[in-house]
Amino acid sequence: MDLHILEHRLKVTSIAKQGLFVFTHPLIKLIFLRSRTRCKFLSLTETPEDFTLVLDEEGFKELPCSEYLQVEDSMWLALNVVSNGHASSSSQAVGVTKIAKSVIAPLAEQHVSVFMLSTYQTDFILVREKDLSVVIDTLQEEFNIYREVGGECVPVPSQDVHNGFQKNGKEATKATVHPVLSPLNKFCVMSLDPDTLPTIATTLIDVLFYSSSCKDASHSSQDLDCVKFFSFSLIDGYISLVMDTEAQRQFPADLLFTSSSGELWRMVRIGGQPLGFDECGIVAQISQPLANSDISAYYISTFSFDHALVPEEDIDSVIDMLQEQRQMKLEV
Amino acid sequence: CSLGYGGSKPDILWSPHHVDRYVICDSELSLYRIESLGSTEAKAGVIQLSEETAATLLAINSDTPYMKCVAWYPKHEPECLLAVGQANGRVVLTSLGQSHNSKCKELMGKEFVPKHARQCNTLSWNPADSNWLAAGLDKHRADFSVLIWDISSKYAPEATVPPEKIRLPSGDADVGTVVTKPLYELGQNDACLSLCWLPRDQKLLLAGMHRNLAIFDLRNTSQKMFVNTKAIQGVTVDPFFHDRVASFFEGQVAIWDLRKFEKPVLTLSEQPKPLTKVAWCPTRAGLLATLTRDSNVVRLYDMQHAPTPIGDETEPTIIERSVQPCESFISSFAWHPSAQNRMVVVSPNRAMTDFTVFERISLAWSSTSSLMWACGRHLYDCAEERTGSEAAVESDIATKMRARAQSRYGHDTVQVWRNYVLAGGDDPQLKSLWYTLHYILPFQCPYLTLDQEQKQQGNKQTVVYSGIKNIVKSSSGTTESRRSWSDSDRQGDVVRYHSEERSLALRLCGWIGRGPDVDVEPFLRSLEQEGEWERAAAVALFNLDIRRAIQILNKGASSEKGDLNLNVVAMALSGHTDEKSSLWREMCSSLRLQLRSPYLRASFAFLTSEPGAYDGVLYESRVAVRDRVAFACMFLSDTQLSRYIDKLTNEMKEAGNLEGILLTGLTKDGVDLMESYVDRTGDVQTASFCMLKGSPGEVVKDPRVQCWIENYRNLLDAWRFWHKRAEFDIHRSKLDPSSKPLAQVFVSCNFCGKSISYSCSAMPHQGRSFSQYGVSGSPTKSKVTSCPGCRKPLPRCALCLMNMGTPVSSCPGTGKSDEKVDLSKDKKLAQFNNWFTWCHNCRHGGHAGHMLSWFRDHTECPVSACTCKCMQLDTTGNLVPSDTT
Repeated sequence: MDLHILEHRLKVTSIAKQGLFVFTHPLIKLIFLRSRTRCKFLSLTETPEDFTLVLDEEGFKELPCSEYLQVEDSMWLALNVVSNGHASSSSQAVGVTKIAKSVIAPLAEQHVSVFMLSTYQTDFILVREKDLSVVIDTLQEEFNIYREVGGECVPVPSQDVHNGFQKNGKEATKATVHPVLSPLNKFCVMSLDPDTLPTIATTLIDVLFYSSSCKDASHSSQDLDCVKFFSFSLIDGYISLVMDTEAQRQFPADLLFTSSSGELWRMVRIGGQPLGFDECGIVAQISQPLANSDISAYYISTFSFDHALVPEEDIDSVIDMLQEQRQMKLEV
Repeated sequence: CSLGYGGSKPDILWSPHHVDRYVICDSELSLYRIESLGSTEAKAGVIQLSEETAATLLAINSDTPYMKCVAWYPKHEPECLLAVGQANGRVVLTSLGQSHNSKCKELMGKEFVPKHARQCNTLSWNPADSNWLAAGLDKHRADFSVLIWDISSKYAPEATVPPEKIRLPSGDADVGTVVTKPLYELGQNDACLSLCWLPRDQKLLLAGMHRNLAIFDLRNTSQKMFVNTKAIQGVTVDPFFHDRVASFFEGQVAIWDLRKFEKPVLTLSEQPKPLTKVAWCPTRAGLLATLTRDSNVVRLYDMQHAPTPIGDETEPTIIERSVQPCESFISSFAWHPSAQNRMVVVSPNRAMTDFTVFERISLAWSSTSSLMWACGRHLYDCAEERTGSEAAVESDIATKMRARAQSRYGHDTVQVWRNYVLAGGDDPQLKSLWYTLHYILPFQCPYLTLDQEQKQQGNKQTVVYSGIKNIVKSSSGTTESRRSWSDSDRQGDVVRYHSEERSLALRLCGWIGRGPDVDVEPFLRSLEQEGEWERAAAVALFNLDIRRAIQILNKGASSEKGDLNLNVVAMALSGHTDEKSSLWREMCSSLRLQLRSPYLRASFAFLTSEPGAYDGVLYESRVAVRDRVAFACMFLSDTQLSRYIDKLTNEMKEAGNLEGILLTGLTKDGVDLMESYVDRTGDVQTASFCMLKGSPGEVVKDPRVQCWIENYRNLLDAWRFWHKRAEFDIHRSKLDPSSKPLAQVFVSCNFCGKSISYSCSAMPHQGRSFSQYGVSGSPTKSKVTSCPGCRKPLPRCALCLMNMGTPVSSCPGTGKSDEKVDLSKDKKLAQFNNWFTWCHNCRHGGHAGHMLSWFRDHTECPVSACTCKCMQLDTTGNLVPSDTT
């Protein structure tokens, strides 16, 4: 297996809902006018709390300074696991599940905080740039590590373990077990031919920027058990969309790509309080049991909470598993 | 074919089998037929593609929206079956025009659907099994990006997803035409940008994946060969060299050798704009065409002469050029599958142009005056026409020199004038040259000088040899004498000048013989013999013997093929009178210009001229230089003479006229003259032979002379006249002892690196014979089988396994006792047979004689484990000299 350290240098930001109007112009430019910007990595996720925007330095330059914009201080790097055809095709599970044991768990053990971003095409593991040497050291046994430089993959020389770098190894504090929440809406993960993006532009703008206005009060009270969640990403020219079936109905059916089986996903939202960026092992908590049961999953981190998407038929067993795990931890 | 058609930029595909059909694809598919213009002129709806060709639209297919790539079915039938890759990853089989083929009907509309929808970037039909269609798709986190579909497979629902999970869009009611189970799935969690099947094996697929090129082997799908690179777009195999592959990234093309897949063997110069298409020419080996965005030129890279595989050390020779098929930007192009170097280009507005890339012309001169050039598949030979007729154009100087070399031109050192005959005997300048040398040369060599020249030893001798110009300069003690006509008793008023130098000059001009005798009669007789009546008469006249002149003219008129007009001239001559104001003088001086013979014109000019004013003779350019000079020596005063000679010399030098050698001799001046002669004619042969006879110190050392000599030697080598060249070298070293070639090559010892010849420091290199290498036939010396410097043994002969230095026995394997006998038997051969020879490639070798006999029957090295094809590497080994007689 190969691990690629991508060239993108990323910022993780949050836009407050009431401040969205300040950012509509740069966002429309970043999403629809690709030739006008040099931004190659853009992910915008709407949650009930805020809009989480992850984007590279070029894209970040487009954003105006505003009291509504919260920026995480660190520079983040995206990692990508490439199977290179050597992967054992025995396991049908994909996504976070597949890399749970090889990447997520070891990084959690080394107290490296990760920010996950699953798309239609792949899974990105975002780590802080300052943690990179720990990451390389931790993963170099399992992976051939390449760093992409100017579009070429350059092998990263293996580090001497005893070279005395700064380990994040504090005493293993007992991991907090966060409450999980499972809203009732069903989600689909889709893609789109970038050439047809203009065709759905109005719908997309509507869904992204005017989602709250169209909902009447009765509707929202009825949707108590549903959560507003919409994610759009445009990374290296690839588009990925995560939306619930409600939103999907607004798009023309023949333009969005999805799997031929039309599979639907349920969400597991992790965290009662905003999680912050320093706590480690959250993804591991969720992905470990999924991996044990060989259940596929998408995982999307946002500024405040983490979100896992699991196949709708597996949601009950996943919730049971997680509750059970929480119970056990609490008892200990 | 990996272009997206969403941007409506049309692409073009040529039918693999029907050479008059092609398809333009943008938002729809349009089938065209291309024809020569003549047959379609009248019809409407015909689009002209070039001066000779036009296209007719046959059919349009707009059934398949969101086309991303198209691939034409590679088999002859069904004819217009196309696979279309769509933006959602589905591959649809469709057709253009009407087909009554049942297989086609069955396949039409068939769809191949990937598990997860994403763009289909590329399609490639397997050339061996046409049921196999490879599709390259964009990345999906859980799915494969290279899917190989079997177009003959039937839809089998139980094979794929459980029925309850199928939520195919309701549009797919006719599920019977939808296939969801690919034959092979490759490249999980990766993107595939370009694909091509490798001709080496039906189951090898080359794919341009995300950041790497991968070769998938379908016999073992868990294995793949890959190399990390950016250049992953548009992979395409050279149809003429199946291990050579081109791919590109942005503006740069990479050429790969699949046998050495670690890195590109070559990257072509980067273009400022991103490339959109790269295609090998199917009709011409090693020609790659590339197209960049927003460009109106197609760039061509000719790799025909690049060695394959291209080595690390060698600088590949790639000829790069651009062609501009039309004024507008080019959206795409397609090579014609069979017409040589032909392509159709399509511009963004769908305008099409039929265009043939004009092949570069390569040209080669043969060493024997013929010319050959190649253009495309045509080879043209241009040889000199060999017509027997006299009227034919003068043959090329190379042809002449070649013929002259064969007739040993220049080698007659005793009867020097005979070289003129050897040269063919038809060139007046050469005649003059060799006669001049014939007269000059006896003075040059002391032992050949004749009796009366004894007193002229010393400086006079060199003066003679340096030409009349210098002789008259040194003239002193000139005496005048008033002469009258031989038959007249009156005191004449013709002034004649005499001096020793002037007599010498006359002798060099050939007018008077050697010795004390100053009679011109022998010369006149020789002219009569050659039938040069006018010239003889003129010379007689110049010697004031008018009676003899008349006699000569009469003789000429009565001779065989004689001109009766000569009698008329004789008649006119006989009326000669000294009377200044006579009618005769008046008429002669005006009518003489109408005479055709320059000598007769000169004669009458002489007779009618005022004393001392002889321009009519001196500047009669068609009178031989030697005669004019002789005349001048007789009738011009010292100052006049020297001025005239200088003027004439410069004229000759400028014109490169070899007659002028008489004036310049073999001096620096002579070299100048010869230089303009060579510039005019290219005749380095005459120049070399002539100048070799000059003084070694002054003339032969002149760089120009050395250059002519070297060029002539090279010419002889080029003609494979090796024996002639050797003869020339011998001739040269006789005349110029310093020219003996130095030993340029010597055999050095493997151990100490010194020459294995004896005491090389003590002896000059010059003239070292091979006997010093200890390999000559002498039995005593042949014992030396070790390096004289370090005493280590010399290498062994690969055939007889004896150390070099031992003589060859004529039948390998016989014992040492036979050696002496064998040597005495063929002593002549022994010298060369014992030489060291070795192959410059594998370094194996041995006795020349053994090697010669081995390679008479073998091409491979005699050393058992060595597979070197030594003989084939030796380009001259297979040639034979062409001057053996």
